[in-house]
Amino acid sequence: MAVTANSEIHRFPQYKYIDAVRWLPVLSAFNRFAVLATSDFDSNLSSIEIHSFKPNPLSFEFQSSWTSPSPISSIKSSQFLQKSIIASSTSSGSLHFLFADSTDARLVSEVSVPENELHLEGKCCIDLMDGGVECVTVGDDGRINLVTVGDSNLNYRRLFDSGGLVSYTSVKWASPVEFATGGYGFGLHWWDQRKPGGPVSQFKGNWDKNLNSGIVHSIDIHPSRKHTCLAAGSLGTVLAWDLRMQQQPIILSGTGAGDGAGNTAVQSISESEVWEVQYDRCIKSNTSSTRILPAMICSEDGILGVIEQGEEPIELLAEPCAINSFDIDRHNPLDVICSLEWESVAILTRQ
Amino acid sequence: MSPNTVDNGTLIPFSGETNNDSLAIYPLHHTLTRPVSRLAISWSRGNSLRVSLFAEPSQTSDAGDGAKVIEVKLGGGDPEIDDADWRRIAYGSVAPFALLQSRRSAISNMSKSPSTYQLDWWEHVLQYSKEITSLLAGPKLGPSPIIDDPNEIVKKNEEPTCLKAAWELMEIFYVDKQSQAWLPERLVDWLADYDSLFTSTQETIHGKLVDFQNDLVNIQVIEDDPRYWEVMSSALSVGWLDIVVKMLRLHGSYQLDQLSNRELENGLVEAVAVLISKMPRLRPESAAGNLGECFKSKPDFIKAWEKWRSQITKLDCSPFWIQCDNQQTRVGLRNLLQVMLGNTESLCTASCYWVELYISHFLYIRPFMIGVESMYNLAQKCIQLKPPTGTHRLTGLLIGILGENTEVVLAEISREFGPWMVAHAVELLTAGSEQAEILLYDERYNLGGISMVELHRLAYAQVLSSHALTWQIAPIYLTSCMKQGMGLLENLLYRQSVQHNNMLLKNIEICRLYELDHISSNIMKVAGVYHWKHGRKGAGVFWLQQSQDTNCLDRIAQQLFDSVGKSISDESFKQWEGLIELLGSESKPAGGLEFLHKYRDFKKSLQMVYSGKSTDAARQAVGSLILLMKNPSTPQRFWLPLLFDSLKLLNWKDSPLLSVSETNLLLNKLQEFSLARQRPHFTEPNLPPQALSSIRLALATNLGRAILDE
Repeated sequence: MAVTANSEIHRFPQYKYIDAVRWLPVLSAFNRFAVLATSDFDSNLSSIEIHSFKPNPLSFEFQSSWTSPSPISSIKSSQFLQKSIIASSTSSGSLHFLFADSTDARLVSEVSVPENELHLEGKCCIDLMDGGVECVTVGDDGRINLVTVGDSNLNYRRLFDSGGLVSYTSVKWASPVEFATGGYGFGLHWWDQRKPGGPVSQFKGNWDKNLNSGIVHSIDIHPSRKHTCLAAGSLGTVLAWDLRMQQQPIILSGTGAGDGAGNTAVQSISESEVWEVQYDRCIKSNTSSTRILPAMICSEDGILGVIEQGEEPIELLAEPCAINSFDIDRHNPLDVICSLEWESVAILTRQ
Repeated sequence: MSPNTVDNGTLIPFSGETNNDSLAIYPLHHTLTRPVSRLAISWSRGNSLRVSLFAEPSQTSDAGDGAKVIEVKLGGGDPEIDDADWRRIAYGSVAPFALLQSRRSAISNMSKSPSTYQLDWWEHVLQYSKEITSLLAGPKLGPSPIIDDPNEIVKKNEEPTCLKAAWELMEIFYVDKQSQAWLPERLVDWLADYDSLFTSTQETIHGKLVDFQNDLVNIQVIEDDPRYWEVMSSALSVGWLDIVVKMLRLHGSYQLDQLSNRELENGLVEAVAVLISKMPRLRPESAAGNLGECFKSKPDFIKAWEKWRSQITKLDCSPFWIQCDNQQTRVGLRNLLQVMLGNTESLCTASCYWVELYISHFLYIRPFMIGVESMYNLAQKCIQLKPPTGTHRLTGLLIGILGENTEVVLAEISREFGPWMVAHAVELLTAGSEQAEILLYDERYNLGGISMVELHRLAYAQVLSSHALTWQIAPIYLTSCMKQGMGLLENLLYRQSVQHNNMLLKNIEICRLYELDHISSNIMKVAGVYHWKHGRKGAGVFWLQQSQDTNCLDRIAQQLFDSVGKSISDESFKQWEGLIELLGSESKPAGGLEFLHKYRDFKKSLQMVYSGKSTDAARQAVGSLILLMKNPSTPQRFWLPLLFDSLKLLNWKDSPLLSVSETNLLLNKLQEFSLARQRPHFTEPNLPPQALSSIRLALATNLGRAILDE
């Protein structure tokens, strides 16, 4: 059974669907901002909204917004020089970069790549390099693109095109030249910009039949352990794929992982889709260096929790509806923001 | 123009004369310059209609738009709660509803005797009702100021809504058995909270108070204003003691500079204020700080009541009144005493409409009354005394409840508050009486064999299903419907779009929860074909594999093979690796795609043969080749290229690699292929012209060597 953790929880109804949520990294120590990708079904408008969060007195106020041409499928935020960058991809295949003032989160400018340039219509996923201007985009259509963002211009090139034979559902930078992608059948691929033409390494999920029938929804790679790729997806599965031990993934959670090699008695924090995974930024000092670092997940069955190798999972939030995305504040790792299926946002402050 | 449509979409005139209230007219604002010739109407999202208007064809080319599509939202919706807020209520009521349903089934499984079931069931329903009530609370009107405004008479914490008022009214009458003994007092509280809602249709005490409060700054000598006394007697008649006492203390005689020469007058005002604040009430406890003395047991209350009344009578007969020289104060205060003494005439003038009069009767004329039947008669009497000028959505409900007519109550809430209310309030109705339970749970022939409860739940589920954001909670209500629920649930799940993976996975998750494997398998099949058609071959194959649809996979395979690289040297085969990886182990159904797997294995070992010269690798390659040729899923058009690629194996120098039977198998295949060549529509593989003969030669040589070897 999962352990329940104490935390202060605030829910803010938004009266529109939240596709994804991120904290916006800013320079100011006093202001906290969240970025929401919203879909208003009444007016048929999709937008990126910036809200300011104040814990005392409690408020979550709308600051500014930008209207997106179509629903947002993926959103990432980062900081570069004196600006905060929000990168988003839409379901029609376009890509947009918004630049915000890094003290008051005012939206300053926007550059975009129109639809059908990078991706065909369908779901695509992006990752923005930490503190950089390099963005990788992958899509259902099997294309992998690299986009370099300048102040007012964009450069992009196609790294690979599977022609739809393989679809990619998630991506994450590992280093300035390497990244990992995830897809159907729990396929994980490792790519190197310097070696185009195909993945440099593939994770074969063949050893487990259940795992093979899932989809990877999210990947995370810790900057201090670039050889380990953390992936989460269907059937509550969360696994760590170590490039140095290719055939033996470490299962951290999952119903389909009963008899994986060396993974006896793995507890499952969720039984359904794990929509997002991130290494927990708030790490206890006694974490062993040989173990996989603790990770936070959110799932379709309404769980927001932390899992750690060989430990009981910790439940931070158990909602009656799905938790579709979350983000850990990089400056205050105790604060977590998540988006709930029932048109609201929750902010947790862990004790 | 008010067009009406018939089947073929032509317009017929509509006469506006049939002035029927049940007809709602929605004007369409289109910008077509030419007259409309045809209409097409279809359902859009929710309760919107999509109307396509086609203009008459014009001769000139620049006559503006030829057609226009307009969405018309039907029904005005609830004026006090907008769509987004209804969704918030819908989301929030899921958990309490589901909990109550699971408790119901747990209890009915545990004990069959209805007596224990009835015993504490209402407590569960009460908990459910409280949770729903907290959900219906309107927006908070900011934090209350720290310093009390002396001129603020009416305090507001939140904006009241009719929906919440109706819900609480039902809770008071049907659910809360514990406070049944002080039901009138609960109604007093109810009116105090919701009197302002009635302001929309008639004058109310609340409205009068607010008006007076707004004028307060302009009034010089408050006790000379007749409205001051009028408003106080009104507030007292419905038991708003705090307000009355607070207003009395605004009396001019309390001012320091006047205290000395108006001592007697001030004494009388204070005496009345004290009496008001000591009014005995039959209730457990009032909200913190509220005036009045509360008594839990009836005998104590009766004793206190008689004592209090005698004190009032004593004050009323006091000689001090004659000495009081301020006439306004004297008349006003004595009128307040008359209200407290239960003077029918005073009460009737003090109250604005029948519900207020009704409440004042409970407080001052029949403080000991309990029993719904006498309450109904009293209500009838009050309606006669103050005939309503219009109907309010809450009064209809109140009369229905007092008349103990479940069907009327159901009809009222259905008409006034919509499907959400009926589906959820049924639980309150049935907690109240066995009779209502029988009425609502009885399966009815005229409803197609379902009960009224089920009917209303289905209707609500239908509303939920029609919106993209709420359809996911409809299954919770559908599965609580024994007869028709599952069928409609299957329909609902089939109807969802498979376009977006997230939506699809949420859909499949619901199937998993309710063990509807056959549906999820069908949905995955649809998704597979969808992705396939949109060029996402990998995703298509994945979903078809998930749905175990080998038929479809076979068909797909034939199309796929057209684009597979056919020769060993073909680089394009590399990109198939990902897809083959996806196909996974052989235990999974891949249909005709199994070929790809074997083909890949064959190619790999053949590549090893070409790079090195190991006989082991060659033997492995031969094994793969035989497997491929034996397998019925290997398409015929691949036979020749496969054999051509294997020429090196067939001509292996060291020793023959194929046995006699294996060579015979390949020869047979070659024969079969040659026959197939004669048929029409045969497409010749792209190979050198001497390919067939060189294969034949190699096979014959190999056969000879193999026979010698054996």
